[in-house]
Amino acid sequence: MAGREDDEHDPPILDDKTEAEAKSSERDMAPQGPGTSIHRSGSRPQLDLSKAEIQGNFEERDPTILLPNQSDDISHLALDIGGSLIKLLYFSRHEDYSNDDDKRKKTIKERLGLTNGKLRSYPVLGGRLHFVKFETHKINECLDFIHSKQLHRRDPYPWSSKTLPLGTGVIKVTGGGAYKFADLFKERLGVSIEKEDEMHCLVSGANFLLKAIRHEAYTHMEGEKEFVQIEPNDLYPYLLVNVGSGVSIIKVDGEGKFERVSGTNVGGGTYWGLGRLLTKCKSFDELLELSQKGDNSTIDMLVGDIYGGMDYSKIGLSASTIASSFGKAISENKELEDYRPEDISLSLLRMISYNIGQISYLNALRFGLKRIFFGGFFIRGHAYTMDTISFAVHFWSKGDMQAMFLRHEGFLGAMGAFMSYEKHGLDDLMSHQLVERFPMGAPYTGGNIHGPPLGDLNEKISWMEKFVRRGTEITAPVPMTPSKTTGLGGFDVPSSRGSALRSDASALNVGVLHLVPTLEVFPLLADPKMYEPNTIDLSDQGEREYWLKVLSEHLPDLVDTAVASEGGTEDAKRRGDAFARAFSAHLARLMEEPAAYGKLGLANLLELREECLREFQFVDAYRSIKQRENEASLAVLPDLLEELDSMTEEARLLTLIEGVLAANIFDWGSRACVDLYHKGTIIEIYRMSRNKMQRPWRVDDFDAFKERMLGSGGKQPHRHKRALLFVDNSGADVILGMLPLAREFLRRGTEVVLVANSLPALNDVTAMELPDIVAGAAKHCDILRRAAEMGGLLVDAMVNPGDGSKNDLTSAPLMVVENGCGSPCIDLRQVSSELAAAAKDADLVVLEGMGRALHTNFNAQFKCEALKLAMVKNQRLAEKLINGNIYDSVCRYEPPSLS
Amino acid sequence: MDPKNSRFSTQISHLALDIGGTLIKLVYFSPNGDNCEGGSIVVGNGCSVVQGRLCFAKFETRKIDDCLDFIRFNILQHSGVQHTNGTARDKLSVKATGGGAFKFADLFKEKLGIVFDKEDEMHSLVCGVNFLLKTVPREAFTYLDGQKEFVQIDHNDLYPYLLVNIGSGVSMIKVDGDGKYERISGTSLGGGTFLGLGKLLTNCKSFDELLELSHQGNNRVIDMLVGDIYGGTDYSKIGLSSTAIASSFGKAISDGKELEDYQPEDVARSLLRMISNNIGQIAYLNALRFGLKRIFFGGFFIRGLEYTMDTISVAVHFWSRGEAKAMFLRHEGFLGALGAFTSYKDQSHSTELKPHHHTVERAVLKCSDDDSFRHTPVTANVNDGEAIECSINLV
Repeated sequence: MAGREDDEHDPPILDDKTEAEAKSSERDMAPQGPGTSIHRSGSRPQLDLSKAEIQGNFEERDPTILLPNQSDDISHLALDIGGSLIKLLYFSRHEDYSNDDDKRKKTIKERLGLTNGKLRSYPVLGGRLHFVKFETHKINECLDFIHSKQLHRRDPYPWSSKTLPLGTGVIKVTGGGAYKFADLFKERLGVSIEKEDEMHCLVSGANFLLKAIRHEAYTHMEGEKEFVQIEPNDLYPYLLVNVGSGVSIIKVDGEGKFERVSGTNVGGGTYWGLGRLLTKCKSFDELLELSQKGDNSTIDMLVGDIYGGMDYSKIGLSASTIASSFGKAISENKELEDYRPEDISLSLLRMISYNIGQISYLNALRFGLKRIFFGGFFIRGHAYTMDTISFAVHFWSKGDMQAMFLRHEGFLGAMGAFMSYEKHGLDDLMSHQLVERFPMGAPYTGGNIHGPPLGDLNEKISWMEKFVRRGTEITAPVPMTPSKTTGLGGFDVPSSRGSALRSDASALNVGVLHLVPTLEVFPLLADPKMYEPNTIDLSDQGEREYWLKVLSEHLPDLVDTAVASEGGTEDAKRRGDAFARAFSAHLARLMEEPAAYGKLGLANLLELREECLREFQFVDAYRSIKQRENEASLAVLPDLLEELDSMTEEARLLTLIEGVLAANIFDWGSRACVDLYHKGTIIEIYRMSRNKMQRPWRVDDFDAFKERMLGSGGKQPHRHKRALLFVDNSGADVILGMLPLAREFLRRGTEVVLVANSLPALNDVTAMELPDIVAGAAKHCDILRRAAEMGGLLVDAMVNPGDGSKNDLTSAPLMVVENGCGSPCIDLRQVSSELAAAAKDADLVVLEGMGRALHTNFNAQFKCEALKLAMVKNQRLAEKLINGNIYDSVCRYEPPSLS
Repeated sequence: MDPKNSRFSTQISHLALDIGGTLIKLVYFSPNGDNCEGGSIVVGNGCSVVQGRLCFAKFETRKIDDCLDFIRFNILQHSGVQHTNGTARDKLSVKATGGGAFKFADLFKEKLGIVFDKEDEMHSLVCGVNFLLKTVPREAFTYLDGQKEFVQIDHNDLYPYLLVNIGSGVSMIKVDGDGKYERISGTSLGGGTFLGLGKLLTNCKSFDELLELSHQGNNRVIDMLVGDIYGGTDYSKIGLSSTAIASSFGKAISDGKELEDYQPEDVARSLLRMISNNIGQIAYLNALRFGLKRIFFGGFFIRGLEYTMDTISVAVHFWSRGEAKAMFLRHEGFLGALGAFTSYKDQSHSTELKPHHHTVERAVLKCSDDDSFRHTPVTANVNDGEAIECSINLV
């Protein structure tokens, strides 16, 4: 995952004292000062391309790569200048050099077959795609923004070897304003504009987004958004209907293969134009807002008006069907002034939306297309318009076809213009290589709030303080479309509509796309297409409200912890406050519009919280807590290992699993467990907890697992070749629970790979912390020491690599890999290439903890054996998932899935 | 045969109504000669053949009283149905169709003593068209560039066709044969939209006034043309000429002009083109969908008006790239009423009547010599110019 440390526009200013940088001894960073200029960035890409795959995984680890005032390192810039909005898209990438001499990594790479000789080349460099919009009449804000970020002073072909001389820059621009503002761009920024064909941009933008983003397309019926997952192989052909001033209907058959098959002159311009003449509205938004309070039956002639209130059901029309738009204005002796502008606006809106839906349907039918995507400023995020069009398509097709909309719809043109650069490298990007983040406080990413470009974190916090209010008044700084803005669709008069509807901007509220070419689909998933990480579906309102409330209640404690982790300074307090506002705003927004950020699962929610912490530069809120608990647990480990070694094999296996479950109680993510901490020491709680592990557990496949491990009837089962242990929390959980289990596998000759987070999340142990922990444990245990040496974990230990242990055939290495994740949960569609490589030889996956084994992946099927271990520390989850109670245990053992 | 009963039956079959949201259309049979029995010839099978004319009249629905008066004085009284004391018989049944057949049933009963025998609207429409296309020569014609051309349609090759009825709203009906049809589509952008929006935008009082205005207008003032977007050059890559309308009323967006700043003529023209173009497009797409070669347009929006016919023909021509032609019917305004008129059969109020109470065996369309398509004022007029000479069989 690419760096998630800063705001999407502005590299934060970091002071050089942060802990993270102190840890940077692992890699040699080459930060670029503001003075380092164009020539370097122009020539640098060549170099980076060759290294990207080596370092990619770690580039997000350290948020301190950047220096103050440094602009994003390498950028592309493309614009779509429309009549009312400018959509800007730019790519940024941060330089990162990690140390290839890192012995641990080198050893792991060798073990995993990732030696330098086998380097794979990624088609694209890691980085971020930023989506920004400006109002066209405020084009100077846009120019300032570009200038402040020095976006224009970049080689537009950053992946080519060409270095362009200064002043010869070219920016790809589409939209009607491309010519209009060409001189202005030349004058202000010294760059030329290269105009790209609009339709071509539109289509290539749509193609890219539909393929690359998992939850890009959605349906919108009766106010409900539902995401539709589209297989990239099954995308074409489709119909793309762009509703601007007029309407273009485009049949898309493939990459670069499209045809404008139809259109209509009754479009957004007609709505706005006629609406302006009829209502005196000054803006499109105002007109649209009016329609929300309208009643079209005062002006439209309905079927019921003709048939005296009876349905004309024989031909499938209900009494409220519009027989003739504006038809009532015929027969009444009313003047324009006698009609409410609200009613006129609604009548117009329905007339035009419905007509567009119908003509689109007829064209889809003509070419046998099932999917119709609608976009353009007329559609953009307007719930009612989307409903009307959806209703029309549904009505005419009798449910055979679906009207769909795109989350990045407003940026299709800009995206396409971006794609028109040579060697943009995005062509082969897969959805698992993209991570969308929703940073807070960016005045340009949508919303009606504007201001100067945010220069640094401080400015961002100030902005937050100004625009995001506390408590119940909290709103996300991005406008939202009310979730239930309409009642019935299509012809019928909506029964209820939201009090507010905003156009345009809300649909332009998209996140930053992080391009992480090193992410891969976990190879051991039985069926990646069917895989759904989330066990709890938050599209269920009850679930959603519960979890949003839980996160909301956790917030004050989390803020305290986070502020304390940074020494409780004034600066930390201020950032903590901003974090609380930002996260509350996210929660408020999600409460109102659950689909605002794409499909919402619990994992996404928990990840959002971690992201938000990182955004306000809380690098590791639980750092000191983790450290303390690690030390305390390591201190009691020798006693535990001695106890285990005195047992029979069978008793030991049970005790080990009991131990994993018992130790899993140490979890700062669980409110119930936090309360426990105040009642005893670690070992006391651990022992108490283990003693309470009365079998059978709520989900208890231990006997099956035992038989697999120890055999039955005197048969000796083959040992596992390699086990992947997905670890959860720091402290007792990993040290008293998972390490002893790992040790058991090692002593049986099974290779063990500890899989941990790339970035901190709550008190979860990270891949960076594990080597130290293992080293601490190895002091007291030869098995661990030998395995850790073989796995390259004990880089500082005075070990002779050529000593006898290496020739011991039964000894197996203990390795650590990062999972590519910074969340308490894990989406196995997006894991690090290291983990993917480690998985190739693995025949057992052990998932431990609520986040990774219950909240996500409880139902995941693997090609290899899987063991899912967790203690349920939430009453609701226990009831929901296993029909049990809080502190019940889950030991789920599954043989390889035959898919 | 009871003469009285026969006479009664004869009387009621003289009239059929189509009461729409905007207009009431009347078709009535006017026998030749003053006497209502005059001109009747009793033929061998016991039927009498009455020579006469089918006459057409229309009224604005909101002026329904005019219509009532017309029926009372020009039809009922004339044909002697009404009692001299002015009270109506209570068993006077008349075929009626259109939404108003429900809505105004009580009114007609109260005022005229007429009980509506309601005929399905679409059924009537289709019957009317089938009747015309089969019975009346020189009924269908195309209209392009100001030239109308009659189309000879082989009766055996009539079906299937698409019938687009443009009333207040628009119905699109696929007709596969006598009584075999299906409403496959429609749109709410119809004649009512033209007149309704037109009234709001121009203060015109009537459809005809609005149409008249549109003749003198220039839609380029208010429509956004392809050339306006692409700087005067054609966007030929996508097959659009610079004069194609990109967005109807699209220029009204950015001009900063108020409604008063536009000429009503231009507004009317833009509106007409928007609606005609849209209807033509949707009709074409539906014809395409079912592989129909012929599209007939009818309804009061068309009414033989050059300009609406022209815009619709252009739209069909444009969308079909010249492959499809819009066709029109001389009697398009009276399709429903005609259909209702031809549906006098299976009468139940007299057991002595056989089915096929009357049929028109031949008809001669009496066209005015110059063949002009002058439209006639909406208010209570009798379209003598397009009356159909015919004879009907009476049982």
